[in-house]
Amino acid sequence: MQILAGPIVQILMTAIGFSGGLALAAAGITLIYMTTGTFNFAHASMTAWGFYIVFSLYKVLLGGNPYIYFPIAFLFSGLLGIVTYLLVNRWLLKRGADMVTLMMSTLGVDLAFFAFINIFADYLTATYKVNTRLIVLTTEDIILGKIGTFPFKAITVISVAIVVGMAIFFYLLLNKTKFGIAFRITVENPALASILGINTETIYLFAWFMGGAMAGLGGAILSLVISGTPTVGNTVIVPEFAASIVGGLYSIYGGLVGGFLIGMSQKLIINWLGSVLGGNIVVYEPIIPLLIMAATLLIYPEGLAGINWKRILSRSKSK
Amino acid sequence: MMEGILEYLYNPLVLSILVNMAVFLIVTLSLNLETGFAGIPQFGRVLAVIAGAIGAGAIAGRMMAAMMGLPAGIEYVGDQNFIIVGELNKALESSPLLSIGALILSLAVAAVMGGIMGYLASYPAIRLKEAYLGITLLAFGDALQIVGMYYDPLAGGTAGIVVPDVFRFVGTGEVRFLSSTFIILGIAILVYIYVQRLARSPFGRALKAMRDNELAAKVYGKDIVSLRAKTLIIGGALAGMGGALWTLYTGSFKALTYNRLTWTFWPWAFMMLGGTGNNLGIVLGTLVFSTIRSLIYAYKTELTTFIPINPNWLEYLLIGVIIIAIALFRPQGILPEKPELPLSKKKIESIRASLAKGD
Repeated sequence: MQILAGPIVQILMTAIGFSGGLALAAAGITLIYMTTGTFNFAHASMTAWGFYIVFSLYKVLLGGNPYIYFPIAFLFSGLLGIVTYLLVNRWLLKRGADMVTLMMSTLGVDLAFFAFINIFADYLTATYKVNTRLIVLTTEDIILGKIGTFPFKAITVISVAIVVGMAIFFYLLLNKTKFGIAFRITVENPALASILGINTETIYLFAWFMGGAMAGLGGAILSLVISGTPTVGNTVIVPEFAASIVGGLYSIYGGLVGGFLIGMSQKLIINWLGSVLGGNIVVYEPIIPLLIMAATLLIYPEGLAGINWKRILSRSKSK
Repeated sequence: MMEGILEYLYNPLVLSILVNMAVFLIVTLSLNLETGFAGIPQFGRVLAVIAGAIGAGAIAGRMMAAMMGLPAGIEYVGDQNFIIVGELNKALESSPLLSIGALILSLAVAAVMGGIMGYLASYPAIRLKEAYLGITLLAFGDALQIVGMYYDPLAGGTAGIVVPDVFRFVGTGEVRFLSSTFIILGIAILVYIYVQRLARSPFGRALKAMRDNELAAKVYGKDIVSLRAKTLIIGGALAGMGGALWTLYTGSFKALTYNRLTWTFWPWAFMMLGGTGNNLGIVLGTLVFSTIRSLIYAYKTELTTFIPINPNWLEYLLIGVIIIAIALFRPQGILPEKPELPLSKKKIESIRASLAKGD
């Protein structure tokens, strides 16, 4: 097993890149859930579209540097979010549909987007004669330098930078702008927000745009960390859900932290298990985020953000 | 006349529609019991289905092999699998009674396995709510599929295993597929009658009360924990039988085919189309959807000449759009839920009449 042989530095770098992508997508799920109460299954395809945008533009259509296509992945998946809101979610929210209907409607959206990815992949294969069913861009990343004998890839830095940038962006937006205050009021109490003259639909539209866009950006990051097929969304959606739920579903920062928690533990635990129990164990990697999520929920039924940190801190201080 | 009908039934397309409909009917009815009646967001339906399939394919098969003195350990799911199952099939062919017994054994093991999964699922189901519960159940289902795919000693891993043909008592070849389809259809009808009776029973009414207002149900002395656990166990057992019948019908088990999309999300779509909480609606929804799926599957090559895209993606697109359309325009489904009368209308009327006379 190649990854097992790799030294801890390389494993760590992959894990950081992976976690960054996961964190963005998970925060997107959280953003949509906390505003509209919709648990978005279509995040799978939105992530996969980000993945395929970078692949197709960089590898097939235009070339150059993979990173210049990140904004396009961001905007495209954001557009998918807007389409989902305007065509489906908006009407269900107006009707006051229950949570399960909201959830299932996004599954329908996901299936449609998934079909479009595959049609797009078929088109690329037919027109440009490229393999779109197994994509490996991990070897094409920019090498910044060397740590020992191992290449230090740009994605490790960029992934962390994007996550930190996003956290700062949300901090400034939510705390320092009028729009941010309107956003927070809408999350707390939509009816009251409407009475105060806040257009809640703008807030929901923004949430869907940013939620989708973050999924696309997460997918773009993942395209340089893992190899993928059109079903890549289906594989990463489970750790994304796990990260969002572990983060507590009501805090964007919780989603980001959850992404790192799930992503790092998934990659590091499986490598550790692999070195202890042998390489065969590596195939069980997808189970790890599931177990972490299940364990977290059974101990803290509302995720990590549900824990009253202030109380714990004040208690430990008083001791 | 009779021969004409039989000839029509031998049509693989008709058979495929019927068997798909029967198996998915069982699974969707079990989902409706848990989600439609009890209000549990069961996004992990595949968990019990795959457990049942493993129960019928790997566990019941091993039990049969052990009873006949054939190797039943790791060899059963390894490279000797084909030979051992061949031996078993010979024995099953020689004695119809044995074959029927094997069918019953397989279904029983599957139901027990599915029930155990339901019991396990009741642990989070009591503690968690809505999205948290739904995603946790989804995670359980995915986890078991991954174990099934990669842990070879369980059921052959990615290569899968062949399964003893317990339908040997009806014959071999074409006759076997036709008759087994009708047996499965018969079992599906029995399951329908069972869940319908359940819906009309005090238990079914308690489930609906719990779904509509948990607090009120508690006030009236209903034990929510035990109601949820019982529902999940019954639902799991039924879904396990559904998964088992699919494995037994196709004669093989591969964990890869028991994925979240086919065995959790499709039944959800069937249920939403037909009418959540209405068993008759479930029958209708399953019939419509499985017919569409089978037709697309059967006319794939013909479709390719009309449309520029691969018909596989057409199926996803179509089902996706149908789900969205139901959610938007008819969230209660084709046949909306209606109150289940505990007795037949006639009986209620006669009781009412006799009461009026008594006054």
